[in-house]
Amino acid sequence: MNSVNLIFDQRLYGAEAIQKAAYRGQHAFTLDLQVEGEAFSCTLLGNITTAPAAFDKAVEDFKKDVLDYQLRSKLRAETEAVRNLILGVAFSKTGLV
Amino acid sequence: MSKFQGQESYGNQLNYELLPFSFDRFNDDEYILTNLAGEHLMMSAADLPTLINRGLDPSHHQFASLRSKHFIRYPEEQAPLSLLALKVRTRYSRLPPFTNLHIFVVTLRCDHSCPYCQVSRQMEGEGAFDMTQEMADRALDFVFRSPNPAIKIEFQGGEPLLNFDMVKYVVTEAESRNQQMGRDLQFVIATTLSLISENVLAFCKEHSILLSSSLDGPKDLHNANRPRPGKDSHQRFEAGLKLARESLGYDQVSALMTTTDRSLDRVRDIIDEYLRLGFNGIFLRALSPYGFAIKTKKFMSYDAGRWLEFYKEGLAYILELSKAGIPFIEQYTALVLKKMLTSEDPGYVDLMNPAGIGIAAIVFNYDGAVYASDESRMLAEMGDESFKLGNLLTDSYEQIILSDRLLDALDESFTLSAPMCSECAFEPFCGADPVYHHAMYKDVLGRKAESPFCQRNMAIFKHLIELMRNDRQTRDIFMEWANGC
Repeated sequence: MNSVNLIFDQRLYGAEAIQKAAYRGQHAFTLDLQVEGEAFSCTLLGNITTAPAAFDKAVEDFKKDVLDYQLRSKLRAETEAVRNLILGVAFSKTGLV
Repeated sequence: MSKFQGQESYGNQLNYELLPFSFDRFNDDEYILTNLAGEHLMMSAADLPTLINRGLDPSHHQFASLRSKHFIRYPEEQAPLSLLALKVRTRYSRLPPFTNLHIFVVTLRCDHSCPYCQVSRQMEGEGAFDMTQEMADRALDFVFRSPNPAIKIEFQGGEPLLNFDMVKYVVTEAESRNQQMGRDLQFVIATTLSLISENVLAFCKEHSILLSSSLDGPKDLHNANRPRPGKDSHQRFEAGLKLARESLGYDQVSALMTTTDRSLDRVRDIIDEYLRLGFNGIFLRALSPYGFAIKTKKFMSYDAGRWLEFYKEGLAYILELSKAGIPFIEQYTALVLKKMLTSEDPGYVDLMNPAGIGIAAIVFNYDGAVYASDESRMLAEMGDESFKLGNLLTDSYEQIILSDRLLDALDESFTLSAPMCSECAFEPFCGADPVYHHAMYKDVLGRKAESPFCQRNMAIFKHLIELMRNDRQTRDIFMEWANGC
């Protein structure tokens, strides 16, 4: 069975970013996530139906996705207040809220 | 004294603020960004972190576009917030009016026996599967409880013309009630046209009823897909089309096609047949996982990837035709483009969020059962009543519309809070479709990473963006489609 272990530094990455990236890759693998000291240890196990080449591609995508979700987290935190403001204005006087 | 501020007022400021947006990898080198209102922009993979870390230089070639499309603003600017709010409000403007489309299943009887049919049809002559007058009255009570100023009543089956007396009753009764209610009332009959007659057409003309029909392609393909006694479905369609157009007007009859395994290598033939018969567009529609399409295993006869090849080949041919001066559109593409290139939502049930079930369309079955959508009753015909909201004989409007079955499905499938969807850059172009995901996974949300719905639509969104980027003429054609549907 295809398998790979990846280490992410907790000072740089959040567990949520890793979990979201794994969710996105579940067509190809499942994630076993553990905290080891200052790091997240991620074991990716290929699905029975995932061919080796497809697994390699999925692992590559997973690494990019973790970065993307980390960046999304930063963006979301920074724009949360203005998002709520815009949605509040958009739906005011519509009877929807 | 000059009416303009000094030149220094128009210079670039260094400090910008981020506005909410989503992003996704488009290819190895680029990301797609979409703002809250669904406007999109492509950006290099190298520039995206710089943008989010607020380090993008005002001289960057995309800085002005990022401001004009409301991805960033200068701290004191209020206009981007107001404009975004206005565009978001416009996108969701279909929600407050509530249910528009009311589908009356006046009979399950049908003269066709299509192996991919999504409905459990019955043989002709079995009146037990017809809607009764009492059911129709109850359904009309329900229809006029909808607050929507525009009401569309669509007759479906089986073949609705096999219970045409009921169609006539509903139309005349609805018009009578509407004298008090004053709604913008529209009627559609979904028919194969095989049983159309001058009497039927005279009634349709008198009441401005539109006809929505089915055409799967050239004669051999259509007849193979749509068996009926006499093996003459296509001949009857063509004759019925001619008669209907002469009576009602050329543009009062539309047609839908369904893609079977037989269609896959013949997309050009299919489009040519639509052109030969004078249609100005086609809806290249994949099979759905409901009803007979599952029982006969037709749904399994091709996957999302193969259907996408079919779709892309068809779209390329349609663009060739358009560039040669032959106006013709692919209707699903036009719906997607409206979501992609304008602030409006076309109200297509499969591509709505919140999902369109119940709140955009609702179905009254011949037996009084109320379903959240046409697909929901198809599921029920196969024994799964997950989206049966109640019964006209026993449940009130409030009980049905506020039923847990409907509200839970809307809530749990809401894409802005769904895993993957909530942060997907393509979310503004897409929809929830809880019935599809329930049919596939017994879960209204489904796992999007494995969902053919997600694969198919993501591939379409990317393909359309690529086509627009690569060819100015295609972009112009797509803009016309987006603003025309």
